[in-house]
Amino acid sequence: MASRSGDQVDLLAADLTRRPVMKESAPEVSEDAMLVSAARDGDRAAFGRLYDRYARMVHGILLAKVPASEVDDLVQDAFLRALRRLPTLREDGSFGAWLAAITRNLANDYHRRSVPETQLADDTENEISPGNAVREHPATAAVILDAVRTLPDAYKETLILRLVEGMTGPEIAARTGLTHGSVRVNLHRGMQQLRAKLGPDFSGNRPEQEMR
Amino acid sequence: MDTGNDRTENQPIAEKNEYLWDGSGEPDPEIQRLEGLLGKFRHDRPAPTFPEIFAEVVRDRRWRFFPRRMRLFPVLATTAAVVAIVIATFFMNAKKPLPATVAGWDVSRVTGSPRIGSLTVSGKDGKSRLGVGQMLETDPQSRASLEADDTGQIEVDPSTRLRLLTMGASLKRIALDRGTIHTYIWAPAGQFVVDTPSAMTVDLGCAYTLHVDDSGAGLVRTSLGWVGFKLNGHEAFIPAGAACATRPKVGPGTPYFEDASSEFRAALTRFDFDDSTLQQRATDLAIVVSQSRPGDALTLWHLLARVDDQQRILVCDRLARFVPPPAGVTKEGILHLDQPMLDLWWNQLGFDDISVWRHWERSWSGATPPAQEK
Repeated sequence: MASRSGDQVDLLAADLTRRPVMKESAPEVSEDAMLVSAARDGDRAAFGRLYDRYARMVHGILLAKVPASEVDDLVQDAFLRALRRLPTLREDGSFGAWLAAITRNLANDYHRRSVPETQLADDTENEISPGNAVREHPATAAVILDAVRTLPDAYKETLILRLVEGMTGPEIAARTGLTHGSVRVNLHRGMQQLRAKLGPDFSGNRPEQEMR
Repeated sequence: MDTGNDRTENQPIAEKNEYLWDGSGEPDPEIQRLEGLLGKFRHDRPAPTFPEIFAEVVRDRRWRFFPRRMRLFPVLATTAAVVAIVIATFFMNAKKPLPATVAGWDVSRVTGSPRIGSLTVSGKDGKSRLGVGQMLETDPQSRASLEADDTGQIEVDPSTRLRLLTMGASLKRIALDRGTIHTYIWAPAGQFVVDTPSAMTVDLGCAYTLHVDDSGAGLVRTSLGWVGFKLNGHEAFIPAGAACATRPKVGPGTPYFEDASSEFRAALTRFDFDDSTLQQRATDLAIVVSQSRPGDALTLWHLLARVDDQQRILVCDRLARFVPPPAGVTKEGILHLDQPMLDLWWNQLGFDDISVWRHWERSWSGATPPAQEK
């Protein structure tokens, strides 16, 4: 097959943008777009609704990457950064994925600026080693959060949104712009790895409960 | 310890644990306990008011309320000023980096002295601009960060060279000649493309790391979303947690999850890229198949189209053991590489609906080959 020129590819890509990969429901995308448009025009209530809708996502992404004591301030910074850049957002319906990326960048900036990543767990005072942590420590929330934070990025972020922020899989997909399939895989693999880290004591020696 | 897989390994991931997925189905006491314990960290702050920022936004938007004829004055004045500044700047200091109004990426120096062409990214704020046709290079002591508001962010590691090829509204394309980049892309899926000497990567809404060594061989590791890897009809798509290597003139190898055994990965690399005898290839494939776990269905599915007819039976049987083919998929069809059947089976693996990929695949088939070294 003959090669296409870059221009042709460009045209194809332009056409494809009309079919978003994200599986966010159409009414939600549409409502987001309206809220973004209103917020861009200075409507504080609209931005407040976006905050209400996305604060848990931003909080969860940050909690996966920075010390818990810093998260609340950084949540506000993420929304401030988003508000400042709102005029540059071309697809209003992609607000969630765009805000998630801003939040991840903010977390990266935090580490670049100040705190080595090895100090992530400083607010929990617990160290966890795979497999035996729960035997050595009581199963406190802090120990478990530390264990989640040792998972790969995709898994820890999705698991925190599910287990900490109380979002469902479909909600996580809708807010972050990930597909349902990606979220399912992240939850499934993340839970497998978390169980391995927490050890059998946490699950009450009931391995048969694994991923029914 | 990874427990409990044997009992469930024949179930598609998508059917497992509905309580974890959306809270429906029979409650899982272990997950309920985790929710109870971790709920103390949940977000519970009301929305702040952001008063100062809104004042800025509204001030910026105020121009919109001017009568149309009055808008012409500031536009003309601004245009004249910009033209004057551009001309003056051109004559006074033609060597300065591109202004921010030119389509491109904002470049920030992270460490050392990254260069755009022959110019060092330095100055008071350590910022510059990478325009179309320009090259960014980092030496062994340098790092840089690229950002474009409507596209994403790219962290550039030391000893990396990349070029900006296109910065259109619907296609942003760079060439990574060598080195390592970490990308976080928020542009719509399919709009961000990286050419390497051995494959073209198509972002499908994700974050990933791409490395190219001096021989032109590449490795992509996806941390969020999806990446498509393609060269001359040879393709792979790589979900979060997976990786895939490429080689010049060969293209993408078979994707795999990085927690697979070292023996599995070594055999897969030999199978994909070594110029081995038929017997050696059969041996390597046997290792891959025998060492594969339910989670390696990703690899097995890709292998179906990369092995000969006899070997395909082996791969097909192993994959069927982990993920039974759904209704409408026959062994005979799979052995004949019936594309709709392959796609139906893929959809059972629990990653995503393959129609998304097929859509992009059709669109990109025959697209321009990877950029060659300058």
